[in-house]
Amino acid sequence: MPYQKPIIYSTFDPNSCVCHFRSRFVEVCCPQHPEAHLIEDYRAGDQICSECGLVVGDRVIDVGSEWRTFSNEKANNDPSRVGGPENPLLNGSDLSTIIGPGAGGASFDGFGNSKYQNRRSMSSSDRALINAFREISNMADKINLPKTIVDRANLLFKQVHDGKNLKGRSNDAIASASLYIACRQEGVPRTFKEICAVSKISKKEIGRCFKLILKALETQVDLITTGDFMSRFCSNLGLPTFAQKAATHIARKAVDLDIVPGRSPISVAAAAIYMASQASDDKRTQKDIGDIAGVADVTIRQSYKLMYPHAKELFPDDFKFSTPIELLPPL
Amino acid sequence: MEVVCGGRFLSPSFSGAWRESTSGDNTRSIIDQSQMGEQEQVSAVMEDEKVIKEEDLEVDPEPVLDIIINNVVSSFSVACHLDLHHLALHGNNVELRKENGVLTMKLRKPPTTASIWSSGKITCTGSTSECQARLAGRRIARCVQKMGYNVKFRNFRIVNVLGTCSLPFAIKITPFSQKHRDAASYEPELHPGVTYRIEHPKATLKIFSTGSITVTAPSIANVQNAIEHIYPLVREFGKARSEEEMAEYRRNQARKQFPILNFEDVEEDLSSSEIEEYWEPM
Repeated sequence: MPYQKPIIYSTFDPNSCVCHFRSRFVEVCCPQHPEAHLIEDYRAGDQICSECGLVVGDRVIDVGSEWRTFSNEKANNDPSRVGGPENPLLNGSDLSTIIGPGAGGASFDGFGNSKYQNRRSMSSSDRALINAFREISNMADKINLPKTIVDRANLLFKQVHDGKNLKGRSNDAIASASLYIACRQEGVPRTFKEICAVSKISKKEIGRCFKLILKALETQVDLITTGDFMSRFCSNLGLPTFAQKAATHIARKAVDLDIVPGRSPISVAAAAIYMASQASDDKRTQKDIGDIAGVADVTIRQSYKLMYPHAKELFPDDFKFSTPIELLPPL
Repeated sequence: MEVVCGGRFLSPSFSGAWRESTSGDNTRSIIDQSQMGEQEQVSAVMEDEKVIKEEDLEVDPEPVLDIIINNVVSSFSVACHLDLHHLALHGNNVELRKENGVLTMKLRKPPTTASIWSSGKITCTGSTSECQARLAGRRIARCVQKMGYNVKFRNFRIVNVLGTCSLPFAIKITPFSQKHRDAASYEPELHPGVTYRIEHPKATLKIFSTGSITVTAPSIANVQNAIEHIYPLVREFGKARSEEEMAEYRRNQARKQFPILNFEDVEEDLSSSEIEEYWEPM
């Protein structure tokens, strides 16, 4: 029998008003080295003393994944003995048992409905959380966001949900806003309009929730820059690399020289792409760029009008012009 | 600090503070109220203590900063329940919206709008000074009293004041918002201005890249203190206006010099009988 350290605790019997002291053996340890750290070997289910190598614990429960793999996934009974990995950071540990789908004749009543139905009341406290995580995952999937951003968005949602300051707001709105903040924090911001496109919440509401979440979590985000959106917009338009580099340079120069005060970085980026594409072979109209970037074409026109007089300073030095600067459209 | 109804608004503390910092060249002048017309203006003299070293930073020749109060929102109670339906049928210039449960009464002089609830609470908006707001409140209460309610003028307080100010220079808002991360919030996608909140005095300022500043605060004194507080912070991010911006700025200033409403003239035209008619229930 493995040597165990005694832990003494007391129980109080209310009927007889007597306190009993009992010792219960809970922790295992090596008999020669009681204070030594135990190394756990999950494959064999052992606990080994780090000093002398004595195996002190056995038949330890294996918390790894199922090691038997099955190619026949369409079988009625799923022979896997474990469920999916639990999500300990984001849920309360859900260790309830659920009744599986029935197989065989006995589990169906006369009408063909399964007798034991308990799909309800799984985890009522986390129901909102699980719904929100599913929404975030769906939204991220539509715009191909990686798992790191989804995880960060889930974490933000959980923090907001626990804080309870935004309790009255729609969960979908908070989910969209936390996805937006996650993209910002990872350094790959998405515009509000892009998040609106995959969510059913209006831009106004997402903006409101965004500000409230920043206040509730007391965090700040970096300001968006023109360069964050260049690669995405240009590849969506199918522009060649040198045009994209030129557009990035134009937008950065325009902001540095402060030619476009008070204009949103998205509009400046769109105008820079227009200028670069018009100077190269692959020309794009303001309408095309406006559709991709989510800005109106009059907005692009306004920013372009501010940038056009300074076109000479904005272009990079090594840019080869298919259309020279003088022939750029002044609209 | 005295506040004279309908008159000039001076802040001795403010002028005193700036007196120390002047070089002494420019004379101090408070713009006379009568020159500017009815719109209440708090004029304060701002001195540019830094000698202008950069030749491109040109400041507008007049060194005076006008703070214009656009809106004063006040709230009070008449201390008795009101029958909004009866008021809507028998009152002048009233409009009842049943879905909100609010009666709107518009006054011509001073031009204000009051929202009246059946509990007797009234919110009055549209005034341009503290005493004008009080006067409007009393007129509303008088209108309600004339329709037969036992009215008392209780708990009058100013809830919100909106003031605007146009600085003589443009502002680089991106570096400004980066420096003041804790108090300033700038989201170019949502709003073109920086929202700057200050705790003491309590105020919210919206700072735009053209140099205009909008302040909302619980009192007129707070508006002035907020502008004083923000001026040095914004000054270091000032930049000269380009030609188009200067043209735009001048156009805006010209529009503000000749306000559409000028109720001093209206007051002379109204005879006493007209006032009686205006208040009589239909």
